[in-house]
Amino acid sequence: MKISLNEIKKYVNIPDSVTDKELIELIGARLVEVEEVIDLDKKYDGIYIAKVVQAEPIPETHLNLCRIDAGEAMPELRDEDGLIQVVCGAPNVHAGMLAVWITPGAIVPETYGNENFRLSVRKLRGYESFGMLAGADELGFDNEHKAIAEIDPKIAQAGDSFKEVFELDDTILDVENKSLTHRPDCFGLIGFAREVAGILGIRFEEPEVFTEVGGLECANNLKIRVNISNKELCPRYSCAVFELKNNTPSKFLTREAVFLAKAGMRSIDPMVDLTNVLMLKTGQPLHAFDYDKLVAVGGKSEAEIIVREAHEDEVLQLLDGKTIKCVPTDILITSNNAPVALAGAMGGKNTEIDASTKRVILESATFSLYNLRKTQMAHGIFSEAITRFTKGQPAAMTMPVLSEAIKLLKVEPLAIVDEYPGKAAEVKIELRVDDVNGLLGTHYDKQEIVRTLENVGFRVAENEDKLSVTAPKWRTDTHIREDIIEEVGRLLGYDNIELSLPMRKFIEPEIDAMVELKNELREILSNMLNMNELLTYSFISKKLIEKVGGKVENSYEIVNSISPELQCFRQQIVPSLLDKVRENTKAGFGEFSLYEMNQVTNREDGLSDEETPVLKTHLGVVELGNFYTLKAKVLAMLKELRVQVEYQAIGAEMTEQYPYLEPKRSAELIVEGRKIGAFGEIKKSVRNKFKLETVISAMEIELDKIIGVKREVEAKVKISKFPAVERDLTFTVASDMVFGRVLNVLESCMERQNLNTEITPVSIYQVEDSPTKNLSFHVKFSSPTQTLGADEISAIMESINVEMAQIGATIV
Amino acid sequence: MSEIDKLRAELKALSSEYAKIKTLPPEERGGFGKEINIKKQEILAKLARAEEEAENIDVAPIDISAPCAPNETIPKVKRGTKHPLMVELSRVVDVYASMGFNVMESRQLDDEFHMFDSLNFTKGHPARDGYDTFRTSEGFIPPAHTSTMQHRALKKYKEDLENGGQIAVVIPGRVFRNEDADATHEHTFYQCEGVFVSKDATMGQMFGVLKHFFEAYYGQALRIKTQPGYFPFTEPSAELLIEKPESLGGKGGDWLEMLGCGMIHPNVLKMAGINPEVYHGFAWGGGIDRLAMLKYGLNDVRYFESGKLEFLEEF
Repeated sequence: MKISLNEIKKYVNIPDSVTDKELIELIGARLVEVEEVIDLDKKYDGIYIAKVVQAEPIPETHLNLCRIDAGEAMPELRDEDGLIQVVCGAPNVHAGMLAVWITPGAIVPETYGNENFRLSVRKLRGYESFGMLAGADELGFDNEHKAIAEIDPKIAQAGDSFKEVFELDDTILDVENKSLTHRPDCFGLIGFAREVAGILGIRFEEPEVFTEVGGLECANNLKIRVNISNKELCPRYSCAVFELKNNTPSKFLTREAVFLAKAGMRSIDPMVDLTNVLMLKTGQPLHAFDYDKLVAVGGKSEAEIIVREAHEDEVLQLLDGKTIKCVPTDILITSNNAPVALAGAMGGKNTEIDASTKRVILESATFSLYNLRKTQMAHGIFSEAITRFTKGQPAAMTMPVLSEAIKLLKVEPLAIVDEYPGKAAEVKIELRVDDVNGLLGTHYDKQEIVRTLENVGFRVAENEDKLSVTAPKWRTDTHIREDIIEEVGRLLGYDNIELSLPMRKFIEPEIDAMVELKNELREILSNMLNMNELLTYSFISKKLIEKVGGKVENSYEIVNSISPELQCFRQQIVPSLLDKVRENTKAGFGEFSLYEMNQVTNREDGLSDEETPVLKTHLGVVELGNFYTLKAKVLAMLKELRVQVEYQAIGAEMTEQYPYLEPKRSAELIVEGRKIGAFGEIKKSVRNKFKLETVISAMEIELDKIIGVKREVEAKVKISKFPAVERDLTFTVASDMVFGRVLNVLESCMERQNLNTEITPVSIYQVEDSPTKNLSFHVKFSSPTQTLGADEISAIMESINVEMAQIGATIV
Repeated sequence: MSEIDKLRAELKALSSEYAKIKTLPPEERGGFGKEINIKKQEILAKLARAEEEAENIDVAPIDISAPCAPNETIPKVKRGTKHPLMVELSRVVDVYASMGFNVMESRQLDDEFHMFDSLNFTKGHPARDGYDTFRTSEGFIPPAHTSTMQHRALKKYKEDLENGGQIAVVIPGRVFRNEDADATHEHTFYQCEGVFVSKDATMGQMFGVLKHFFEAYYGQALRIKTQPGYFPFTEPSAELLIEKPESLGGKGGDWLEMLGCGMIHPNVLKMAGINPEVYHGFAWGGGIDRLAMLKYGLNDVRYFESGKLEFLEEF
């Protein structure tokens, strides 16, 4: 929203001690974020009103050679007759008119802030042009480039500074609407000014329109009825009928047009301009219908306005020519049930004001902000009016603003109707001075609090330290004690609150176990196992789920997703990581393992007690390597976590859960009897879909299943004070012998003899196509009770020999 | 003659000096002996140094600017990386935890009740649209702010309050907004929520706690200021700004919007079964991505979830 500082100053007497800069800072600190400060004074520098004395066509061009009288401005440019030569191509340039002259050296306002196009003395078709005569577009008021602006001689004369005539020696604040969502009263300049007064500690002098209930003498010669179907939709509907006279758009650039332009609006015709100006000042939008057209649409002899909810698919052609299909939450203004306007948004073509309009119905109403918000979204209408309606304009203001409009239009109302079914009781809020200071942490005294509230229109009754506060009729946002406390805190400045710290007990905080586990894993995976942590989106495509053989229907689907790439909430992490491999290998990264820890969910897991989807935190790892490379890291990770883990060939359950794993080359992980996940090589068929040529492995585990498990591993190696014996053993076994079986036999053999043993696999060797292979181990063992002698050692070796022979393994 | 030989000869010459001691008058003998001793020690020290140098003499100098010696393979140091956002998130959480805040995790898929209803958004309130939420076909919401956890945090720690303690908790998590990604906007980002409730919590305490946090986080004294805000779940509400810290190149006078905050709305306390007549609270929430971007001078938020090692290996 654009706010003119000049306009604010008309309502508030800003003390000289407060500079504009300070004022803007205060507004930013105590009312609303100021996103941009636009210095109009600079923008309109070097621009004057000038009289066109002579305008002669330049042969064979569309140009005119003009000589202008610029009064006292720029005397150095005058010729011997005291005039200044300007070339002008506009069709409407003519001798005798007052125009707007942009002098050489001045910036064309339209380009201000962008390319800052500065005029110079330029030759056009051989004629020197000192600056230019400007159109409304070049002045930054309009988009249409058709003619130069003409100025009414009643408001200016040659040589006047353009910015002074049109009050452009101004500063515009572009404020952020969002933080004023709950403050419809601030969507009018007067309301904004009231806050500025409050911030400065000045009692705001209410303009009449805010102090009066509004009511005009009216003979009601004309019958018009208003019928509101539901007061929730439309708490109040006021309207007046009058004869429309002299409403042709002015040929001059009017002050109203400039006022509107400052707020980013365009001039239409005198009546619409006046109602729009009134809206910008009070925040109350007004809308005009052609009375006679409205009666005709209704098919009755007199006007009957019915305000109601739209029916599904009801059709209405709007003023902009578009025909809309209504949604049931739209509110329609109808003439005897025939739609004539989409309430709050736009009028209908069928009741448009045009040159033939004789009588007008001027509407001043307020509608349900919830409905209008939906209307705005459904039909994409973002006018200044609907922006205000969607904040919930106060019903109390419809009639006063309508009355003000009638007065300013200088018309005699033929009929006035004011339907007000939604009149709400005045809100009175009780609070104590301690409530204010207790919540803010301040020491404001009662007088300061009362004065602050009264400055912006609250009425306060005092009873010792109790205050009874009544909100002014235009405030729709104050309902509870805290609302009043906010007013006090904000107007007096949150930045003036003394800082303190809460007193706390000296106890350790409780850290969520998952937060701690993830931190621990991050240390292990990144710092010890040299993996790269990734974050990928929680939303993935159906295609990705299908690529890894997953079930699309198990994903929660986003109905308003940004793109098909982001349509499904992921069930697993590994697919997202796989999706990032190719890009990184192509970028030249040869060896890496990626991991991510994040939340996933599967619709099959159902809902929790609180009826929300069960979420799990998974760790996914993708390794550019085979099963064994990954296995070493998985086991190292779990060992570092001090989690006792077992693994076995992947079973049906995990295969179904992780369909991208090659079951012939994958294992499942078991902790305390529960399957926590699986790891293994990615299926070739899946790899092909990701265009990944080399062997890739992955692991996915449910971290939730690690939380709470016993986190200690018994030290297998006990330090013995007796010397250890080391032997390298190689066993020849059948080529299909399972490595783990040989290792198990060796381990249990040593264990049975009560030896401290450390067995390290060394190699697996097999000649191609050989029916046997050699498994080598480095074995280190010691006795806890004695030094092992040669006899004992041979006995141990012999027992190994015997036990190995039982599974068909022979020591080499 | 090498340095070592020279020193050894000197030492030998010196030992013949000892013989002179006897020839001197008794009163001079002590002084003379001491002098020779000092000389001897000096020579011995020089000799030790020279011998040590001699041991290293045949080590050839190398080209320290080269990655390896000629004909050797260039050694590679493979290192892992933590994600910069997670590093920042941990740092934020650690600072709050060290101040005494409990830590909870935020959910990545939630419902209308937690996202809006429990936070005093009336049904159909336009403020709901302001959050540009995603929805699943069942009506679940990938939350647009970590405030979605406020109700749970209040309920979880309500007992502490009743036992004479306070509620003090921070909740980091991933949140989502339905907006197109560009250099400064991401549909997926991280926030950290804070909730504090006690019998005497004030807005002054809130600003005090937040100022303290940022000072600890940036390791320097900072100025703060505020700007009014509007959130249905806090009253009064504000936006907190900090003066750009020196470590981020701040020269004084630049302000950074860091988070939204406010006194918890009595309805939010009530919904969690906490009596707002007895207890007050404050809450805040701010983005983590922005902290990381400021810290590392990043200009495009989309890098974070890009999965590009080129980017990640920078950290």
